[in-house]
Amino acid sequence: MGWRFDAPLVSLTDDAQNKAAKELWARESLGGIKEDNNRLPRPVIWLLALTILTAFLITAPLWGQRPQAAIYQEYVALMDDPQVQSIADPNGKVEYIVNAVKSKGSKYEALQERHPVEWDDLMLIKDQVIELERKGVDLEEYTIIGPWVTLANFEGEKKPDGSTIRKQPHWDKGYTIDVFYVIYFCVAVVIAVKRLPEFSWVPTHAGH
Amino acid sequence: MLKYLFAKNEDIPPGTTAIFFGFSSIIWFVIGTGIGSFNAAKLAFPDFVTGYEYFAFGKMRQVHVLAVILGWISMAFAMAMTYITPALGNTRLWSEKLGVWNVLIWNVGLSLALTLLWMGISSGREYSDIIWPIDLAIIFGVLFPLGANVWMTIVTRRTQGIYTTNWFFGTGIFMVIIVFLVGNSPEFFNLTGLSEAYMTWWFAHNVLGLWITPVAAAIAYYTVPKVTGNPLYSHRIGHLHFWSVVIFYSTPAAHHLMSAPLPEWLKSFASVEGVLILVPAIAFVSNLLLTMTGKWHMFVENVEIKFTITGVLLAIPLNMQGGFQQTRAINWYIHGTGWIVAHAHLALLGFSTFLEGAAVYYGIQTLLRRKLYSLTLANFHFWFLLIGFCTYWISMTIAGLIQGAGKIYEVPYIDVVIAEHPYMIARWVGGTMVFTGNVVWLYNMWMTARVGTEIPVGRLPHELAYER
Repeated sequence: MGWRFDAPLVSLTDDAQNKAAKELWARESLGGIKEDNNRLPRPVIWLLALTILTAFLITAPLWGQRPQAAIYQEYVALMDDPQVQSIADPNGKVEYIVNAVKSKGSKYEALQERHPVEWDDLMLIKDQVIELERKGVDLEEYTIIGPWVTLANFEGEKKPDGSTIRKQPHWDKGYTIDVFYVIYFCVAVVIAVKRLPEFSWVPTHAGH
Repeated sequence: MLKYLFAKNEDIPPGTTAIFFGFSSIIWFVIGTGIGSFNAAKLAFPDFVTGYEYFAFGKMRQVHVLAVILGWISMAFAMAMTYITPALGNTRLWSEKLGVWNVLIWNVGLSLALTLLWMGISSGREYSDIIWPIDLAIIFGVLFPLGANVWMTIVTRRTQGIYTTNWFFGTGIFMVIIVFLVGNSPEFFNLTGLSEAYMTWWFAHNVLGLWITPVAAAIAYYTVPKVTGNPLYSHRIGHLHFWSVVIFYSTPAAHHLMSAPLPEWLKSFASVEGVLILVPAIAFVSNLLLTMTGKWHMFVENVEIKFTITGVLLAIPLNMQGGFQQTRAINWYIHGTGWIVAHAHLALLGFSTFLEGAAVYYGIQTLLRRKLYSLTLANFHFWFLLIGFCTYWISMTIAGLIQGAGKIYEVPYIDVVIAEHPYMIARWVGGTMVFTGNVVWLYNMWMTARVGTEIPVGRLPHELAYER
């Protein structure tokens, strides 16, 4: 096992071992099968990098979540406001509510923009949201499914009181483990591949 | 077969084990898809064969699944291993005698296991339905002898290097033994609850990920360079593929249980790894398709390449689905629906079956030194398999999306059943086409063995395919 470290991205194997590997590669017949020494094509390298990036981005709870009831809490609170009541057009009512909440500033602003509602939608969930507020539950743990406000279909860690967290984490130790796992994998495969003769060497397949 | 069971090893002709495994696999494929077609008919036509306990869907479903996995797929793997491993090492199979006994015990044992399942004697866990004494018999009576033959053939090879296919074969059989030992631990140690659920899906995931996927891919690594005569495009990409299978396929079992009360970090970890299953898939597909350079005409003309490249191409939708359907954003919608059934068939009946089909076609012709009896029947088989599979896959995917919508919006169950009825009929039509194609295949291979034209010394079967 001869190693060299002066040009790690070219080869990790010393000249003598590279020479022996090339001779064996050219000489040996594996049941009539031949192998080339091509590098991974650049577009495929980019595709792999994109895959690794996507793996983290798509599994973090950025996309595809149903709206939490909490994001409409401020909307529901304004529904009985006299100024809203005085507007006849349902679209106008919603526009007024949305602008009022936006001008005050809401921590759910991005989610509210991602999940727009109509007056009829608000009418359907209004009583349910008020009832849940009365019970004092965390409305971030409730989602809107059609006309219903229901406990999210998500089972996280246990809270101190024994109940289950119903909110999806944006980061947890699973992702941290993954970061290291992917790094270890990439390093190990690069080492394995760089122990081979450099990709610019083309086997002759002599004797096949 | 009986005369070889007690013959001396050196008196058994090379390739005997592989030929027995090859024909056994086709017969199990006919049985497995026949039962599958019957089961699909019960779903399409609810009044079809009712009133008999042993023909109830609940008893026959797992017989179909395990006949296909342990009969067709695994025996086709055994066939490929017992002729490709020695060929790549320029040697003979370590022990043909052990191999012949392996075939006998496998067939008898599987018949017994499936009979027990049919009688309702089951562990009650999907994919690992077989009861633990039979699991132990599979490990020590079936898998370990096969492993011993493969490992010892690699050890006693006459080459210095080991070709990519044999890395996967040697490792695949080792890993599936571990999967059977660990994955059935809920039964061995009476584990219940979440531990049982997790181990059940660890088994189910890894039977696919550490046995069927890598071994099927290994076959393609042999078939494409062998039949086209092209060198494998890249030994380096083979490394990337092999290690990414071992690392990324072994970890995401929890993504089968995304709505279960498992630790959330475990699901996050598994979900990222689940997407990273695309890494080996990209490596595998790019390596094989680039190996085809200059030989794409064979995709149309040659039966083995037609099967193999179709399997390779099906790996793309398979891994795109598999990678993304398990994420939280998508899984909540399609979990527990026909979408998953469609995906499972894409893996087993699409991707892997086409690769194994090529191995069995090529192996039987090469070992018997006989030209295929009928190219027309082989093409009939290919198209019935492909069209039947696609019909099944597309119809079940649509049915799954309907079920997903019904589940989320709490549509009454009977309304969902009515909505998906046309797709259940399409499923039965597709499955029956696959079964019909396989009956034709069995006939074609039987006739190849009996009356196929002998292949002259020094020639390969695919070189003679178009010669009369």
